[in-house]
Amino acid sequence: MIEMLLAVVTLILSLLLAGISYVAYKKSHLRPALYLLIAFLLFALKKTIDALTMAQWIKRDVGGITAALEMLVLFLLLLSFWKR
Amino acid sequence: MKRRDEILNAIRAEPGITFRGLVRKLGLGIGDLQYQLRKLEEEGEVFSRRMGRRRYLFPRDFEEEAQRLLIAISTDTRRKILLKLIEGPTDQKGLSEALGVSQPTVSYHMNELMKLGIVEAERRGRNVVYRLTCDPETLVRMIREYRPGLLEKLADGLIDLLAGVGGEEDD
Repeated sequence: MIEMLLAVVTLILSLLLAGISYVAYKKSHLRPALYLLIAFLLFALKKTIDALTMAQWIKRDVGGITAALEMLVLFLLLLSFWKR
Repeated sequence: MKRRDEILNAIRAEPGITFRGLVRKLGLGIGDLQYQLRKLEEEGEVFSRRMGRRRYLFPRDFEEEAQRLLIAISTDTRRKILLKLIEGPTDQKGLSEALGVSQPTVSYHMNELMKLGIVEAERRGRNVVYRLTCDPETLVRMIREYRPGLLEKLADGLIDLLAGVGGEEDD
């Protein structure tokens, strides 16, 4: 139960961060803000898959998908802080 | 009709006045003012733009200028930079020290303001000094009334952070 609650709070926070990144990108057209927006959305997707697996709504093994999403999120975070 | 002329003249005299500002200035009822403004907008005499939590009103010949000014005041640091420049021409280092933000962040915002044509750079010896090219009164009026939402405030912080680590503009 606690795990599910934490997953929901994490999901809400990642969507909030995606919203902030979206507003920042709309105002500034800075490319790193776009990378952050995509990263937070992917993170929210990963968290949703995790929560659905936890609730046993998804029966199949999704370890590969979530690992790939994690890697993508970290790659996008790295891109957003890349000094040009 | 007389009341509508009064509203139109007030907007022409103070482009960028907000709906609330107009209520205060003319002492009209909100419903009455909303009706008269709707009529004026339908006739194409005035137009409005929403920014932050305020609605700004402009006369019809102000379209391009209004757009540039609204983009210029859309982030917290830019508003502070513009208010500092109203006091007089300043260089990048002076702005950075006065506002307590990094020079790359100031540099990013100055480039944006120059592209908008709100600010121009002038070389004085070894320094580059920036000065305003738009009407300071309109700018002060618009900045004073600006009320960003929470998400916008957080986004402004993110823009400064990203500009500070070397963010580059994406065309």
